[in-house]
Amino acid sequence: MDFRPDASLEVFRQEVRQFLRDQVPADLKGQQRCTRSPREQIMRWQKLLNERGWGAPYWPKEHGGTGWTVPQILVFDDECSLAGTPTQDGFVHKMLGPVLNAFATPDQKAEHLPAVFNGERLWCQGFSEPGAGSDLASLRTRAERDGDCYVVNGQKIWTSYAHHADWIFLLVRTDPQVKKQAGISFLLVDMRTPGITVRPIRSIDDAHHLNETFFDNVRVPVGNLIGSEGQGWSITKFLLNNEHATTADLPELKRYMRELRLIGTTLQVAGKPLFERPEFALKLARLEAELQAIEMLVQRVARLDEQQNPASHTLGSMLKIRATELQQRMTEAQIEALGDYGAIAYAHPHEADPQQPFPLQALARGISNDMFLRRASTIYGGTSEVQRGIIAKMLFQL
Amino acid sequence: MDFEFTSEQQLLQDSLRRYVDKAYSFEARTALLAADKNGSAENWGIFADNGWLMAALPEAYGGLGGSLVDTVIIAQELGRGLVLEPFLGCGVLAAQTLLGAASEAQKVRLLPQVADGSYRVALAYSEPGSRGMPEPVALQAERTGDGYRLAGRKSLVLGAPGADAFIVSAQIPKTPGVSLFLVEADCAGLECQTLPLHDGSWVQELQFDGVEVAADALLGEAGQGLPGLRQGLANGIVALCAELIGAMEKTLEVTADYLKVRQQFGVPIGSFQTLQHRLADMAAELELARSSLHVALASMANDEEATRYKTVSGSKMLICRAARFVCGQGIQLHGGIGMTEEYLVGHYYKRAVVADVLLGSSDGHEAACAAALQAELRA
Repeated sequence: MDFRPDASLEVFRQEVRQFLRDQVPADLKGQQRCTRSPREQIMRWQKLLNERGWGAPYWPKEHGGTGWTVPQILVFDDECSLAGTPTQDGFVHKMLGPVLNAFATPDQKAEHLPAVFNGERLWCQGFSEPGAGSDLASLRTRAERDGDCYVVNGQKIWTSYAHHADWIFLLVRTDPQVKKQAGISFLLVDMRTPGITVRPIRSIDDAHHLNETFFDNVRVPVGNLIGSEGQGWSITKFLLNNEHATTADLPELKRYMRELRLIGTTLQVAGKPLFERPEFALKLARLEAELQAIEMLVQRVARLDEQQNPASHTLGSMLKIRATELQQRMTEAQIEALGDYGAIAYAHPHEADPQQPFPLQALARGISNDMFLRRASTIYGGTSEVQRGIIAKMLFQL
Repeated sequence: MDFEFTSEQQLLQDSLRRYVDKAYSFEARTALLAADKNGSAENWGIFADNGWLMAALPEAYGGLGGSLVDTVIIAQELGRGLVLEPFLGCGVLAAQTLLGAASEAQKVRLLPQVADGSYRVALAYSEPGSRGMPEPVALQAERTGDGYRLAGRKSLVLGAPGADAFIVSAQIPKTPGVSLFLVEADCAGLECQTLPLHDGSWVQELQFDGVEVAADALLGEAGQGLPGLRQGLANGIVALCAELIGAMEKTLEVTADYLKVRQQFGVPIGSFQTLQHRLADMAAELELARSSLHVALASMANDEEATRYKTVSGSKMLICRAARFVCGQGIQLHGGIGMTEEYLVGHYYKRAVVADVLLGSSDGHEAACAAALQAELRA
């Protein structure tokens, strides 16, 4: 056990910083990162990273990735967040990509991987259905074999960014006769295929991330099946257990802390900076201590992930529960810190500026959107309640 | 950063666990509580013989040249067994304060005896008006012809019963800053009242009524004692936090076992989701607290003074609150049996309650953190 800093990691941080400073144009920096950037920006950013040889920062070298260690990845994410770069397409880099690397045929890899690196194809995830949320294995979207195609019928819901995506990775039921987990398969589908309809769902953060996606006799070539028929559930478990350290969204948590400090020094109460108020300073103290602990927990989980130690599952579940709750508490603290302006519904940062600027909008805009959006953090990726069940079962055998 | 133990660290943990398993079964601890104050002399001899008292002291002063990580490994295991010997009071707080505040000659003279357990020193710094924080200091040390006369009160002195001497923080009139004195326990005018704590351990309240000490009782320089005191306290706080991590670990183990054997409605109560989720929350609280301990260790190793003390205060607040939650819920999940003096789990809660008061409460450290943050933001 040794807590002295790793000098080589500091060298790496400087390398990332230099790239961000010298090679990334100004219009791709200084943005509020939210969950996902607009499509064009994701594509430009991906191209730029690929030119630098960093097109797949989370993947091992043998699959064309950077081969970075998890602590290096955390540094990279942290620096990108500080610089305010666009996001990458997380669905393909963190979820589908590792699946393709592990399960896809050479033909499938040749079809999809180049587009991941050069940023020309964005993905979305088709897992949840109206009747299959936490009980994902009860999904009903059918894929029936017809010659050299599957015919897909059914409905997916909460398909984030389906309206920006070129392709979708989809869980479908290929065999309704067997145990529910055993009848599931993993399909890749071109979103331009006839029979697919995407309908927007507006969420409480006043934005359009979410969709319903309908499949009406959609013909998908059998060559788009990943793995074998019925292997979809084990592929999904692989996908969800691939990494645990980044579920905390640590760069976002650190951004919230920077913003809270900025609010505290910018706004005045009774003629003094807000941070001089004891109630604000005490809350900031509690949040900072917890954020530091979360940061250290991320490092611990990262180390376990790297060793492929199964303890990363339960510790990762604990991290997910506590970090997402902290996301909610920090964004709520921001709203409170804004005083009267915490109640104002500013226009979403992705929308046009209002004709007459709202008071304080340079500081306050986007905060409430993040705060409302963070209610989803404790739901997606396995609800906090599902995570507690995992801990009880795996750690305590209950 | 490295979270795994080295082979030496593993050996240290193993030796502590063997000791705690043998000397601190629930029955053995109950017998110790009835027999004497703060453990036994025999056990203290084992502490000394195994080098646990010298682990984190420099080799130049009779130590093993280890670090705060060694202290943490020891304290965590002691916390699992609710060990009564005053490792925290004498082995960490007093020893590290001496290391931080005494002159070179004093260190050479005193620390080897502290390291081998032959000279027991306790740290008398807290007062009713400072509540475990190093300041303000009301106790006065008036200059006399050839020394000082001490007058005032010190509260909650850990490891005091059986101590040979006390490190006493004091204010010298017209000398700004805090001064530290080494005062023999048997000197005239010092009245020591021994008081029991909720967890079965004992402290003393010290009343100084014109206690005369020689000039060489002053540790280091007059008015220059605060950095050394703060250094000693920071080491003690980290050790106390580690102890609570051990206490939480054991509470979780005991509680998880109980949920598997206790039957109600014809099934083990661990099959109920409400209780499963509570246990999961306790486990998450423990692991976040463990990470907060790592934050404190990293800061003590790497940061400059102001940041170090802010971070340690943050960890004290977070870990003490976590321990009260985890140990309190340990009682709750046990139901009625958790309330009995004859059952283990309530004793962990008692320790958590005491620990929250020791060395500055959670609220006190939260306020210290907030003040440090305000100073950062003003700059």
